[in-house]
Amino acid sequence: MQDTVTTSALLDPSHSSVSTQDKSSTGGHTSSTGPQPSKPSITPVPAKSRNSHPGANFHRMRRIIAEDPEWSLAIVPLLTELCIQHIIRNFQKNPILKQMLPEHQQKVLNHLSPDLPLAVTANLIDNENYWFRCCMQRWPVCHVAHHGGSWKRMFFERHLENLLKHFIPGTTDPAVILDLLPLCRNYVRRVHVDQFLPPVRLPAQLRPGDQSDSGSEGEMEEPPVDHYQLGDLVAGLSHLEELDLVYDVKDCGMNFEWNLFLFTYRDCHSLAAAIKACHTLKIFKLTRSKVDDDKARIIIRSLLDHPVLEELDLSHNLIGDRGARGAAKLLSHSRLRVLNLANNQVRAAGAQSLAHALAHNTNLISLNLRLNCIEDEGGQALAHALQTNKCLTTLHLGGNELSEPTATLLSQVLAINTTLTSINLSCNHIGLDGGKQLLEGMSDNKTLLEFDLRLSDVAQESEYLIGQALYANREAARQRALNPSHFMSTITANGPENSVG
Amino acid sequence: MNPPGSLADLDPNLDEHLSTQILAPSVHSDNPQERIQARRLRIAARLEARRREALGEYLDGKKESEEDQSKSYKQKEESRLKLAKLLLCGTELVTNIQVAIDTREIHRRVEEEEIKRQRIEKLENEVKTSQDKFDEITSKWEEGKQKRIPQELWEMLNTQQLHCAGLLEDKNKLISELQQELKTKDDQYVKDLKKQSDDICLLLERMEQQVKNVMKTFREELYHIEKAFEVERQELLASNKKKWERALQAHNAKELEYLTNRMKKVEDYEKQLNRQRIRDCEEYNTIKIKLEQDVQILEQQLQQRKAIYQLNQEKLEYNLQVLKKRDEESTVIKSQQKRKINRLRDTLNNLRSKYAKQIKQFQEENQSLTLDYQRLVLQFKELQKAMRHFALIDDEKFREIWLMNEEEAKDLIARAFDVDRIIHTHHLGLPWTAPDFWFLKNVGPISQQPQKSATQIVEEMLMHTEEEEAEEAASEPESYLDLPKQISEKTTKRILMLLCDESGFLVESKLLSLLLPLEQNECYLLRLDAIFSALGIESEDDLYKLVNFFLKYRAHRLSSSLQIESCSQASTEKASMEETSMGSELELAEQTEMEGEKEEGLVEGEKEEEEETPPYPWVIHPNDVVKILEAFVMGLKKPRDSRAPPRVQKNVRNNSKDSEYWQALTTVIPSSKQNLWDALYTALEKYHIVLTQRAKLLQENSSLEQQNTELQALLQQYLNSKINSELQVPPTQVLWVPKK
Repeated sequence: MQDTVTTSALLDPSHSSVSTQDKSSTGGHTSSTGPQPSKPSITPVPAKSRNSHPGANFHRMRRIIAEDPEWSLAIVPLLTELCIQHIIRNFQKNPILKQMLPEHQQKVLNHLSPDLPLAVTANLIDNENYWFRCCMQRWPVCHVAHHGGSWKRMFFERHLENLLKHFIPGTTDPAVILDLLPLCRNYVRRVHVDQFLPPVRLPAQLRPGDQSDSGSEGEMEEPPVDHYQLGDLVAGLSHLEELDLVYDVKDCGMNFEWNLFLFTYRDCHSLAAAIKACHTLKIFKLTRSKVDDDKARIIIRSLLDHPVLEELDLSHNLIGDRGARGAAKLLSHSRLRVLNLANNQVRAAGAQSLAHALAHNTNLISLNLRLNCIEDEGGQALAHALQTNKCLTTLHLGGNELSEPTATLLSQVLAINTTLTSINLSCNHIGLDGGKQLLEGMSDNKTLLEFDLRLSDVAQESEYLIGQALYANREAARQRALNPSHFMSTITANGPENSVG
Repeated sequence: MNPPGSLADLDPNLDEHLSTQILAPSVHSDNPQERIQARRLRIAARLEARRREALGEYLDGKKESEEDQSKSYKQKEESRLKLAKLLLCGTELVTNIQVAIDTREIHRRVEEEEIKRQRIEKLENEVKTSQDKFDEITSKWEEGKQKRIPQELWEMLNTQQLHCAGLLEDKNKLISELQQELKTKDDQYVKDLKKQSDDICLLLERMEQQVKNVMKTFREELYHIEKAFEVERQELLASNKKKWERALQAHNAKELEYLTNRMKKVEDYEKQLNRQRIRDCEEYNTIKIKLEQDVQILEQQLQQRKAIYQLNQEKLEYNLQVLKKRDEESTVIKSQQKRKINRLRDTLNNLRSKYAKQIKQFQEENQSLTLDYQRLVLQFKELQKAMRHFALIDDEKFREIWLMNEEEAKDLIARAFDVDRIIHTHHLGLPWTAPDFWFLKNVGPISQQPQKSATQIVEEMLMHTEEEEAEEAASEPESYLDLPKQISEKTTKRILMLLCDESGFLVESKLLSLLLPLEQNECYLLRLDAIFSALGIESEDDLYKLVNFFLKYRAHRLSSSLQIESCSQASTEKASMEETSMGSELELAEQTEMEGEKEEGLVEGEKEEEEETPPYPWVIHPNDVVKILEAFVMGLKKPRDSRAPPRVQKNVRNNSKDSEYWQALTTVIPSSKQNLWDALYTALEKYHIVLTQRAKLLQENSSLEQQNTELQALLQQYLNSKINSELQVPPTQVLWVPKK
């Protein structure tokens, strides 16, 4: 409080004469300064300002100086310091930042409260340190690496995610999200939402944020189960690059109901329109959302000829052969580099259409068909496609009921292909002979770095020999890269990928 | 599943422990697949170890060749391989769980499909049988409708009821079966959930383990690498130390050698120094003696100098006295001068004031004088006007008088000519030709033809040439002015046309537009007028100068050697021209009369000239015109200035020719003719006398004849009278007879 008074004394000489010790700190600054009687002499003011008891009159002040043994210049903060503190205190009402010197800006930013309204701070403050504090205050665990290393981006992305997660159509005001839009549009690049709440059907029983526990009569009225429409949001975010959505409800507990997990056609259409309008989107993920063939086709149709889309992840859905055919069409009509259809219901026909598209594709790098059921027919088709493909590096065919004929063809592919670096054939029924044939194929290959044959009935000896060949390939790759760290990084990067699947 | 204890016994010798580590969990696992997997892994690990040994040997062999390269490098490579191995194995271990779950899931799916198929089959069978039963029941209803007897109906209804109950029971059974199945599925689901959570736990554990392992091994490897580096450093240090010692020894030996060498050299130098010292001492002594002698001589000189100094001092003192006196004098003079300056300043002030006064005075005077001057100028102008007026009147009078006299003289001359003609024709019988003199045709006072303006000339010329073209042969010989006649008119015209065409820029554009509708000649005329006004050509002299200039330029172009000549010619011409201009202002009165003649003469002369000199080949290039004009204008400026003053006297008449003229008038009849006339006069007088004598004689003769006739008549009368007849012999007979 003394500080503020001295500040006022410095700022306005006329002010100091009236200020008393018990004057409120904020009042001392913001109150009017005009009509107060000014002291005849201005010269004592600086002396007084140095005093620790500036409010006292001249005589008393002298007395205090005489008696105060602990008085020293060091106690008195600098005027700039005081001003900065004042600015910090009133930042919400009067945000001053850009006009200050860099060092002062730094000071202000270090002391600003993370609770300031976003409307003030969003477009004004770029300092990472401030946003770091904001993030740490809100969330105990923060992986800034997932958000491009920017705390500000992380804050906005997670804030938006939070809002979306708890948005209840019909109950929550859509303005909550749309108001945030102008603040966060320049910072949000990735939207990751792993739950979408359905609209509340019986508002009397339910509190917002809670799950619906109504009975199964909701089966009849499908239309009102639509979720939040992402169209406006996606159109508003100018730098959106990644969209990671799960139409799911978490922590429903005993209120479980199949109805909660519906991904309706209206949802699907609005989502498709949104991603079609978003030309900056690079990664689109829609997992665990019960996307069936029709919905997948709707979404894929909207993604056809998308200018920048690179990764499409539709894993853990209910996509069958028709959806796979749509994906195959997308392969030839976009610049897709990564396609993930893991844990779907793709069968031989779908795999064949994918293989057909793959045969002449020059963009796709990674294809994941884990936990489907393409069987030998599909596997053979894919192997044939790989004989002409010159782009694919990663292929995951784990858990696809493949057996020897596919292995025979793949061994031929291995002998020819020079781009593939990773193949996963785990959880199939390759068999002993198949394993031998793959070993033969491996003996001619110099590029493959990973070949997963676990739990696929291959003889241990051939598996071991394949492992040796892989090791030799890896060493060769390392020598080629001439950089040991690069080699290590590829291994470490591949590790978690395998574990995630 | 792996007890954490297995982590603890991880040795640097990684391979075996890795295998045991993998072995341990798999054996105790209650999942058969996992066990299989684990065993397989164990075997793979063993194989790997074997392979690694072989590779290691190979690497060692490779290393041995590079043994001396570095120990640390070897260690690094080793560590790297070890760590890569560890990472690979660890990730494999972790992903094993996922793979196992995947296989389980596949199995489950296959089984599920099978069960589903069976269930559907069963349901279909059930539906078929129940449908049959239902059909049977419905058919019986029809039967029942025909039954009339209530007992039968009741019986039938009972059986129907029984049937229905059986059908319902079947359905219920099926439902309960399905529910049972559902329950077991629920249980299965719960179990699966538990298992999954177990799996996840296991996964987490393994991951944690893996992280710990990796950290540990990394640390160890780091330690090893550091150690290797340390050892290498130590070795390096040792070897370097040895090297250093060796070098130091060598250095010491060399030092010793240098020392002995130095000692020797020092002795040498000492000897040399001694020798040098002795020599220096001797030298020093000799020099000392010489210098002392020098000192003595110098002292002597010093004494002399001192004496001179004394003398000089006295002289200087005297001088000082003199100067002091002078100084005093000068101060006196100074004060005097000061006073004088003061006085002069006073006078200066006085003079200044006077000067100012005088300036004022003179200004006033000047003003009055200027006023006077203005007045005088006015008067002078008036006077001039009067003068001009009088001059005009005088001219007029002079002209009248001149005309009167001339008329008189002409009358006289005509009479004389008449007489002469009569004399010639009547008396002398000679043919008479009227004498032809220039002055006879003069009317009015003789004067210099006024300087025609250039345009006038041009106009005339144009008109003339036009006429000439029209009546070429018919035109009587004409002559132009008596100006330089070496230019043919055609040439002039052509030059002017050229000028007109080429220097159109001098003509205002407005004028050009106005000229369009006019005739060609007029057009040329106006344009030339404009061009001349632009060039500053006013008089005909200028015009001819211009034409000459053109021609000379051409000539100059033709032969550059002629240049100097032409220049001189031009200068002489200029001079002559001035003369003529002075001289030709003679006979003002005759000007009008003479003009025509002059023109004729000019043309005549020009024609002659044309005959004489072949017409110039036209060689002036149109492009040169502007250049020529420029040069001409530059040249024209100077004479214009010098000629300005004589122009004022233009009106003063030149009366030098007057007397000549009048004299000429008197001598219209030449003296030879007068002599002739005198002789004729005397002869005629004589002839007159003869004639008068003859006239007298004729008169006498006539009177005698008259007397004769009278006498004859008297005789006749007498003869014819009666008396005669009466008389016998009349007198008549007598007379007659003689007569016969």
